[in-house]
Order: sequence, then C-alpha cells, then structure tokens
Amino acid sequence: MILESQLFQPFTDEPIAVTSESGEWIAPFELDLGPDKLRRMYQDMLLGRAVDERMSRLQRQGKVSFVAPSGGHEGAQVGIAHALRAGHDWLFPYYRDVTLPLAIGVPVVEFVAQAMGTAADPSRARQMPYHASSKELNVFSAASPIASHIPPAAGCAISMKLRGTDQVTVCTFGDGSTSEGDWHAGVNFAGAQGAPIVFACQNNRYAISVGFEKQTGSDSIYTKAHAYGMPGYFVDGMDPLAAYYVMREAVQRARDGFGPALVELLVYRYGGHSSADDDSRYRPRAEVEAWRKRDPLARLRRFLTRRGLWDDAAEKEAEAVVRAQVDDAIAQAQAAGDVAVEAMFEDVLAEVPERLVKQRSELLG
Amino acid sequence: MDRVSALTMVQTIARTLDEEMARDERVVVLGEDVGKRGGVFLATEKLFDKYGPDRVIDSPLSEAAIIGAAVGMAAHGLRPVAEIQFADYVYPGFDQLVSQVAKLRYRSGGQFTAPLVVRMPAGGGVKGGHHHSQSPEAHFVHTAGLKVVFPSTPADARGLLKSAIRDDDPVVFMEPKRLYRAVKEELPDDPDALVPIGKAAVRRVGDDVVLVSYGGSMAETTRAAEALVEQGLSPHVIDLRSLAPWDEDTVLAAVARVGRVVLVSEAPKSASVMSEVAATIAEELLDQLLAPPLRVSGFDTPYPYAQDREYLPGPARIMRAVQRVLDY
Repeated sequence: MILESQLFQPFTDEPIAVTSESGEWIAPFELDLGPDKLRRMYQDMLLGRAVDERMSRLQRQGKVSFVAPSGGHEGAQVGIAHALRAGHDWLFPYYRDVTLPLAIGVPVVEFVAQAMGTAADPSRARQMPYHASSKELNVFSAASPIASHIPPAAGCAISMKLRGTDQVTVCTFGDGSTSEGDWHAGVNFAGAQGAPIVFACQNNRYAISVGFEKQTGSDSIYTKAHAYGMPGYFVDGMDPLAAYYVMREAVQRARDGFGPALVELLVYRYGGHSSADDDSRYRPRAEVEAWRKRDPLARLRRFLTRRGLWDDAAEKEAEAVVRAQVDDAIAQAQAAGDVAVEAMFEDVLAEVPERLVKQRSELLG
Repeated sequence: MDRVSALTMVQTIARTLDEEMARDERVVVLGEDVGKRGGVFLATEKLFDKYGPDRVIDSPLSEAAIIGAAVGMAAHGLRPVAEIQFADYVYPGFDQLVSQVAKLRYRSGGQFTAPLVVRMPAGGGVKGGHHHSQSPEAHFVHTAGLKVVFPSTPADARGLLKSAIRDDDPVVFMEPKRLYRAVKEELPDDPDALVPIGKAAVRRVGDDVVLVSYGGSMAETTRAAEALVEQGLSPHVIDLRSLAPWDEDTVLAAVARVGRVVLVSEAPKSASVMSEVAATIAEELLDQLLAPPLRVSGFDTPYPYAQDREYLPGPARIMRAVQRVLDY
C-alpha cells in the first residue's frame, strides 16, 4: 500500500528528523506550514511547559497532590496535537500528556482545575492530577492502570470505521506500556480490523526507574509494528516538526482507510517519573543534562529565528502572555471552590441507586 | 398477545440479540467465535448472516481486547454486546471491567460513559472442571459502577437482555449454562417486553420459609420447594434475577413476614452475593427473624471436576437447611 503523498518510509534505522539541532530545515521536501501555524506550535509548547512547571511548584507548595513532569515531551506532544483535527478526532491520552491536551484546545483552567481538584474540573475532581479529559474535544478520560486505555482506543477506532465517520483515533503511551498484555491486545485488535488509529509511543526510555533495556529485548518499539501488520515510524521526538509531519501522514493514512500505524517518538523526561520519585537513584545527571541540550523548545525557536519568525522580543511577549494565562487559570480554578462532598455518590451509575442513597444518608446524616 | 414458538434460553438469547440489532443499528456483537460459528453455545446463531462482519465481529482470542474495545465503541456511540466464551475466561479482561468499564462514568465526571453489555455463560453442572464452571459474580457485584444480572428462565433472559442493551450503564449479563437448553418457554412476541433490572421475581408465594436464589441454582431451589410442598410445607420462592442492584424490598418484605430464610447459590460461600443478602437481612430485620439466615452454597474450593454434582447446592442440602431454620 503506497500513498501518493507519502513523505516518509516506515521502519527506518535512524529516527526521522526534519530540522537539525541548530534549527535548519533538513527534510527532502518543502515545508508547507505558514508562519502563524509555526508560531502557534511554539507558543503551545511554551504554554505546556509553563503549566507543567507551575504545577510542580504548586505541588511543592502542597496545593497539588502529585505531578508527572512532562518537560522534554513537549515536541512530540505538540506534533501529535497539530496532526489531529481537534474536536473531530479522538485522543486517548496518558498521564504525561500536558502540552498535548492544551494544544488540542483543552482550556488551561480545566487542566489546572483537574490537577487542583476543584469544582472547575469537568471530571468533577474524581481523579488524581494529570488525568484531564474533555468530552467536548474528544479527549478521553485517562486511567492510571498502564495501557488499559489501549483496547478502548482500538474499539473507538473500530467504531469510527464501522460508522464511517471520517475520524481518526490517536492513542499515546510511554515505553513501559508496551510490556502490558493490554497493549498487545489493543494494538493487535486494531491491526486485525484495519481500524483508523495511530498509536504514538513517547519513548523516554524509563518506566519510572526501569530502563528501556530491561523493558524489552527489542532495541526499539516501532519495529514491533511489523508483527501487527502496520507500518512503524521511528521519529526524533525532540524535533517538533518531525513529530508533526510523521503524525500528520500517519493520521491521514488512517483517515484514508489504510489502517493503523505505530509511531515511536524518542523523547526524554527531564524530571522524575512523578513528584514522588527520586530519579537520582537510577539516572546519571550527565545523561539528563545531555538531553536537556537537545530541548525541543530551543530547537523550534532556533528554526523560527532563522526564518525571521521569532526574536527575543517575541519570546518575552509570549512568556508574559503564557504567565498571565496560567495565573488567570489558577485563580479561576481556585475561585470555583471545592466539589461538594455528596458528589462522591454521583456518576457511579446514570442514576444514584437506592443503596447509595442510604449510604449517602449515613455520611450526611 | 401473539406467541412465538417455544424456545430454550440460548435460542432466546440469539433471538433477542437479533431483535435488538434490528431495532437499533448501534447494537453490535463482538467476541470469540460469535460470527460464522454463531458462538460456541450458538447464542449468536444466524446474526453474522443477517448483519455481516461489521456488526457481528469475530474478535481476536483476547478477553481484554473484547471488553476493552467494547468500552471504546460504547464511548463513541455504539451499543456493544460483548460475549466472553466462559465466565471462567473473563479474568484477562477483568482489569478492563474494573478499571475502564466500571470507572469511566465516575472518573470522567459523567463526560464519558460505557453503555455496554458483557455476556458470559457461568456456573457448573456440565462436567467442565474449574475452568468451565465457576460463578464469579461476586467480583462484579463488589465493583461499583457495574450492573449485574443473572436470569434463570428464557423469558427473563430475554427481558433482562433487552433492558441491559437499552441501559445507559454497563451490565454484566450472566447466563446459567446448565439451563441453556433445560427448558423451553413460550415467549411474548412484544419486542419491547422488558424485565426491569433490579427487580426480583416471586416464583411461589408461601408462609413457612423464604428461599432466595438466582441463576443456575434456581433449578435446584425449585426442586427443593416442590419437595417441601409435597411434605405439606409452604415455601416462598424468590428469584433475584438482578444481583447489582438487588431487590432488597422484595426480599426484606418476604423475610419480615415469614421470619425464616435460606439463601441458595452455587458460588463459593465466602464473601458471596448471598453473604451480602444475609448481612442486609441481619442489619434490617434481626428482631423479626425466627432463625438465622442460612446460606446453602458452593464450597470454598476451586470448582471440582469429579464431584461436579456434589459441589452444587442440591435439593437435599437445601432441605436440610430448611429443616434447620424450621427447627431453630
């Protein structure tokens, strides 16, 4: 199956990049994104990083119970987000997605309110932080059990195919997910059905402390696509435009009826697995610092600067805008107040069953 | 009312799925062998020919894929009916049931829901050994966010399956496989004859002892009740039909009136559904009881192979328990 518009070959030995570390365009095809789109992608990354860093600060202040630092993943996530038709396609995210839901359009206040567990959270403060969802934007509710969202994502895509909705499902996860039985179950079913889904692995090479070489005997994730009858793409996830272009092609391919794809985006998480982790126990600092030098924000900024689309003044202004956005969202989230205690008994089922009515009375008197 | 010909329970299930798929194009069936084969018990017979591979989906051999995919389908707007070939094989899909199916509405604050049905033949009496005979309903009842039903007659299977498919909540639909072909029943032709989830059926009105059961064990409970009648006693027989929610009103009213109750289920005794029923009776009705609520159940062993019949709570064991509550 060859697409006429195909820009990328699957199963490359080297990760696909379209810009160099110094921000040059190095792809053998022409850039077809306008200045606004390019700047938008960069601004989305700035926002994602700012939200993530602020949540970490709030966590240290005791205002947020937990964070799963997303720094280093912004390039992959912004690429995925911009490859989707927001509000039309569906995203099945995992807990480290921050830039991704925000770039799709999830309001900052909703993300922040979810993390803070206030009444402005559309999911009614039912989950620990970093599990934001949006019915309006088809951002599915993340669940903590690793890879448990893979079979539901496959089912969603099978439904899209059956109903002929011209939609695509994108499902994200980390490298650790690929060891779960449910990952195999979901990817396998999607492959068997030729469902319109793109599985996007953000491989940061650590599942909490367990390194990639202990996770799998395979030297990569994308090669596993062979076994499921779908193309596997190997992408430099620190190159936001590479993430975007490969995801765009994989999504278009799925939309055109050519079935699923597996995209492995090589990234790095600068922080620990979570606010409860101490990554100095298992990662040399030199490794972290080496990856920080490959920062996806810096790379896209250099690209924009080279093209005259960005400068220090623009950076300063964008940072101020983002800071104000985050401040405002936190204020709004806090102002919404707490969720009522009795809300605990709602949404278990469509209607509160009699037995729960009694248990609610037991609590409230 | 028009009558269709008499059908067994498994024939009824296939007929009911057909009726619901004809009524609502969002209803799809998925599972292992549900397509051309029509299900290993023929519970999906002829559906593939009529509705094709898009709506009667032969899944890979993976319970996690079946139940998990049903979640995504339901969230996207379909009404999937997933078949697990034997209840004993649900465990690879158990995380999907507990972490996805049961939690989706709650964890998303009602934004996303999973209106789906997971059907599974359960229970013993077919010489299936422990991996084809178990009654795992307590796991599901213990999981907030699931409805659980376990009919014992063709008519209830039909009415409850229709209710389950039309329900906005996920429903675990358990089928007593040893009763699949035990009796035939004439069924109403009315395609909208529903049996409400959460309502028990009183099979016999009586004054001496209340017998409560459900699913496969209703067969032995009914035989025990018939034997008691021959002895000149008057048992009151309740078929729970729904286990989550279960019909507290019907059970408590009968037990309050009669004062004696025996709870019959072939599931292992400890932490069983009937343990919950017994505890509720004790909490609500202690002063009105003339004897302690007794459970007659399967044993706390894996389901045995050679002692298939002895494991089940048969009429003799039920009658001994009745004697105990009468003599108390």
